Amino acid sequence: MSDAATATLQPSPEMTDAAAFAAVEPLAEAAPQAKILLVDDEPKSLFALQELLSGLGQNLMIAQSGEEALRLALKNDFAVILLDVRMPGIDGFETARLIRGRERSRLTPIIFLTAEADQMNQVFRGYEVGAVDYLQKPVIPEILKSKVSVFVDLHRKSERLKESEDKLRRLAAHLISVREEERAHIAREIHDELGQVLTGLKMEVTWLAKRLREKPLIEKTDSMCKLIDTTVQTVRKIATGLRPEMLDDMGLIAAVGWQAKEFQKRTGIRCRTKLPPEVKLDIDVSTTMFRIFQEILTNVARHSRATRVDMELAIAEDKVALEVIDNGVGIADSDLNGKKSLGLLGMHERALLFGGEVKITGTPGHGTRVSVSIPLRQRS
Amino acid sequence: MKVIIADDHPVVRQGLRQMLAVEQDLTVVGEARNGQEVVELSRRVPWEVAVLDYNMPGKNGLELIKELRQRYPGRAVLILSMYPEDRYAVRALKAGAAGYLTKESAPEELVSAIRKVAGGGRYVTPTLGEKLALELEDNRGKPLHETLSDREYQVMWMIASGKTVRQIADELFLSPNTVSTHRTRILRKMNMKSNAELMHYAIAHHLVD
Repeated sequence: MSDAATATLQPSPEMTDAAAFAAVEPLAEAAPQAKILLVDDEPKSLFALQELLSGLGQNLMIAQSGEEALRLALKNDFAVILLDVRMPGIDGFETARLIRGRERSRLTPIIFLTAEADQMNQVFRGYEVGAVDYLQKPVIPEILKSKVSVFVDLHRKSERLKESEDKLRRLAAHLISVREEERAHIAREIHDELGQVLTGLKMEVTWLAKRLREKPLIEKTDSMCKLIDTTVQTVRKIATGLRPEMLDDMGLIAAVGWQAKEFQKRTGIRCRTKLPPEVKLDIDVSTTMFRIFQEILTNVARHSRATRVDMELAIAEDKVALEVIDNGVGIADSDLNGKKSLGLLGMHERALLFGGEVKITGTPGHGTRVSVSIPLRQRS
Repeated sequence: MKVIIADDHPVVRQGLRQMLAVEQDLTVVGEARNGQEVVELSRRVPWEVAVLDYNMPGKNGLELIKELRQRYPGRAVLILSMYPEDRYAVRALKAGAAGYLTKESAPEELVSAIRKVAGGGRYVTPTLGEKLALELEDNRGKPLHETLSDREYQVMWMIASGKTVRQIADELFLSPNTVSTHRTRILRKMNMKSNAELMHYAIAHHLVD
């Protein structure tokens, strides 16, 4: 984190995008300085630019040649680059072309600086390679400052957007896993604690019943026993609804098969399954796949008007794949990205968490096909 | 008969102990709270029947059954579980358990199950027996409901769930006439005369809850 805060004219130590993301912590909230690159072969001009822009309080980096500018552009994300057109070696235009040619700096704004009288053809040349602006030397301080400020502002906003997007994604991931843990925990508590106490209670009542001789009392204990049985069933239903215990002790394949049967029983929509032989898979991947399958079935029951669902689960060395096809009305493209499709978004996010993907295609009148694929890190 | 009981819940162990105490021919010779304790206990005391909870902390139920069966092939393991039969019983029996009971079972059932498995038999509840029988039947020939088309199956399910023709028509965006036609065809294919018969079949085959 210290790197981001260091304000020097030197490029900060190398930091990959991924590392930078991983390092985004609440601490970085205080607006970090934007980096501005000044490129001119004349030290005097560079010095003048530095003086002019120092008031902005940003991180100014300098390069005295096109090559040096390129090197810096490889390692840094600049809010804007001020580029002298006439330089020995690679000139400003060529430098701009090369900078723009690289993925990382493809969209970096460039302002050309030139001492020459305004030549329109040069202006056009500049815009061709992707310049966004053009200033003539000697620059007017106010204009330079305000132009640079605009880009710094823009850069900061897009950085913030990227950051908040990333945070939202991580928040969603966090919520998913917290919710899953909580469900598992509550399910276990309810099932084990409540369920066992009820079992014990029933045994006590039965013990009592055996010692009773009066009919009305025996009838009472009988009805108590029945009440306990119903309660046990309810407890079980709630626990299984929160998290099917089969997922934990029998694994994904058994759980998916059970879910398909339950679905058919609950909706009357036929569900044909094709399942591989049972193997033990990573529990988090299993949970993800299982929840996605549940979400798909929920959608089928709610929107598809299907009379049949065909599902296949396949497990390869490196991935687990699920395909669910229904014969319903077919999801419309507008529903795939609509505001109401939060469930679908949730599926994507869940899969994404494990580097997987979800593909949904609908053919009007011919049903919907959902393909899910999640890579397996290692067979355990 | 010497019985060991294992459950991680004191209430359940206490209940079991009380329940078995009144039976003259049964003696509880030891209790365990988890899989590890079961294994130790089984070495330490003489026993004939082990009554085990399906999932205790530590070893999972199936592993425990297999281990006990391997070490003591002549003795019986009876599973007493919180989980419904339809999901676990067959697996437990395949792993070598002599019987599978849910904790809702009546105490008499447990006692008679213990007696039966101690004699080397297997104990299968009537419900499970029926399910196994149905599976056999299903394997022999296609069950009747498999002869229905997908749409017919759906309509059959709705009738069996107690819905009227009108309700079915509304839900499926079909005309009542079409639904009636489906119904006639379903009854003919399944060789039945009434909705009641259909309901009975659906419940027996676990097609509805």
